[in-house]
Amino acid sequence: MIRTENLNIGHRSSLLQIENLSLQKGNLYFLIGKNGSGKSTFLKTLSGQIKSISGELFLDDILSTTIHFGELPKTVSFVSSHFPIVDFLKVEDFISLGRSYHTSYFGIVKSIDNHVISDIIIKLKIKHLIGRFTSDLSDGERQLVAIAKALVQETPIILLDEPTAFLDYSNKKLVLETLKKICADMNKCIILSSHDIDMSLEMNCPFLVIDSKSKKLQLFSSNTKKKELLLLAFD
Amino acid sequence: MIHLSVGQIPISFQEYWQSIFNFDEHAANEIIAREIRFPRLYMSLIAGASLSVVGLLMQTLFNNPLAGPYVLGINSGSSLFVALSIMTGIPFLTSDLGIIANSLLGAFLFGLVILFFSRIVRTQIALLLVGLMLGSFVSAFVSFIQSASNAQELKVFTLWALGSLQKVEYTQLPLIILITAIGIVGSFLIIKPLNILVLGEKEAKLLGVNIKQVRLVIIIITAILTGLVTAFCGPIAFVGLAVPNLVRILFKTQQHFILIAASIMMGALFILVCDIFIQLVEPYFMLPINVLTSIIGAPMVIFFVLKRLK
Repeated sequence: MIRTENLNIGHRSSLLQIENLSLQKGNLYFLIGKNGSGKSTFLKTLSGQIKSISGELFLDDILSTTIHFGELPKTVSFVSSHFPIVDFLKVEDFISLGRSYHTSYFGIVKSIDNHVISDIIIKLKIKHLIGRFTSDLSDGERQLVAIAKALVQETPIILLDEPTAFLDYSNKKLVLETLKKICADMNKCIILSSHDIDMSLEMNCPFLVIDSKSKKLQLFSSNTKKKELLLLAFD
Repeated sequence: MIHLSVGQIPISFQEYWQSIFNFDEHAANEIIAREIRFPRLYMSLIAGASLSVVGLLMQTLFNNPLAGPYVLGINSGSSLFVALSIMTGIPFLTSDLGIIANSLLGAFLFGLVILFFSRIVRTQIALLLVGLMLGSFVSAFVSFIQSASNAQELKVFTLWALGSLQKVEYTQLPLIILITAIGIVGSFLIIKPLNILVLGEKEAKLLGVNIKQVRLVIIIITAILTGLVTAFCGPIAFVGLAVPNLVRILFKTQQHFILIAASIMMGALFILVCDIFIQLVEPYFMLPINVLTSIIGAPMVIFFVLKRLK
């Protein structure tokens, strides 16, 4: 689903290298690394917000540089760490904006779109939030709504930038378990960045670790020990 | 909701208008109606609708509910260019068409300036400060030009700057309506990107919106509508800021089809009501439209600011 060949990324100068990585559908990956090590840069590169410096990146077997920015929403959806603070934006209007790529010129939501949207709303168990304003939601509810917006986009790849940062324990668990379930049920390739190593270990998922010394991103299996992860990423 | 407002507002304002027709003035004869009433009526509607739509577009583009053509200095751009064109004394530039062209150009250039600053400054309030400073810079500069110009030029400019809805002639109406229609249809054509822009530019890009193109379209529409209104009515303050906020509070939505349609209705109604008031007090004193909208609008802005800072 996501494949790299000697990819070199960064904002201007090289920050991070990803030699040969191959990420599959049906997997939830935890992206782990120090502050400033390049987690966000990696996610931004995958979502086309910044260009890579050298090397090649394939999304769904297509070379990323050949994908027009207007076509990228078909393949990749992104859940930002900041939820937009806007008055009077209803939950259902917010979620349906995720359909933008699929809707026509005027963005009218048709019955096919509504079908997808209500399907996702039921899957995420957020039906009770319909009709409320996004500005009135709690952090946990916002995160679920943001995930719903990404899901209705129907992309094979979903990226989340620190989705659990502002959440308490029970909400963290809810969001991560929901994501894991979606990943398996809907056969998605999901990457999320996180600082919460304990929580990540609990979820029993593969890790993408940014080596703090060699500045390289490497894949580790779900049964990697905590000690080893800490040593690699934070020492 | 929208059907209700579409049906209701025109009816109620027509009734208002009728009553004023009958009560205020002596038997309305045809020439007055054709040469004064109709242009004034249309100009009220156009000015209110245009400025409100522009305010809405700018608020969405800058993700800033306190944005508007007046506070961000777009009117100032028009004023500056009209002042310059009148003071040159060149006949073409002081003709109606020359003033319209210069007004549009000034609005467009100042739109670009604000766009440029919006890329640099991070906070909403900072952008407003830039706009206000732009405004006071221009008014200082215009005063300077005035002091250096002769009596005739000064008179033309002062009359223009006072702002009024009465200056339009019947024969100019088709052109004005056409230009306004272009601007308003244009804003309906970008409903989808506007709806997405509510989430911010970064999110909009991720959803495939061509931001640069949309930004330019919004600035062009802003220049057309603001420039036109400013050319004929002079600067009109706060309408573009206050009306879209009222519309959002009333309709509680971020769907731009509704917001644009409602801004057109409410904006038109707002100026119309203001103008009715102006006509009512006309026997006692002259009240420029800009003065009245400022008296109503400025406290509203303070209210919105306080609400946001809380």
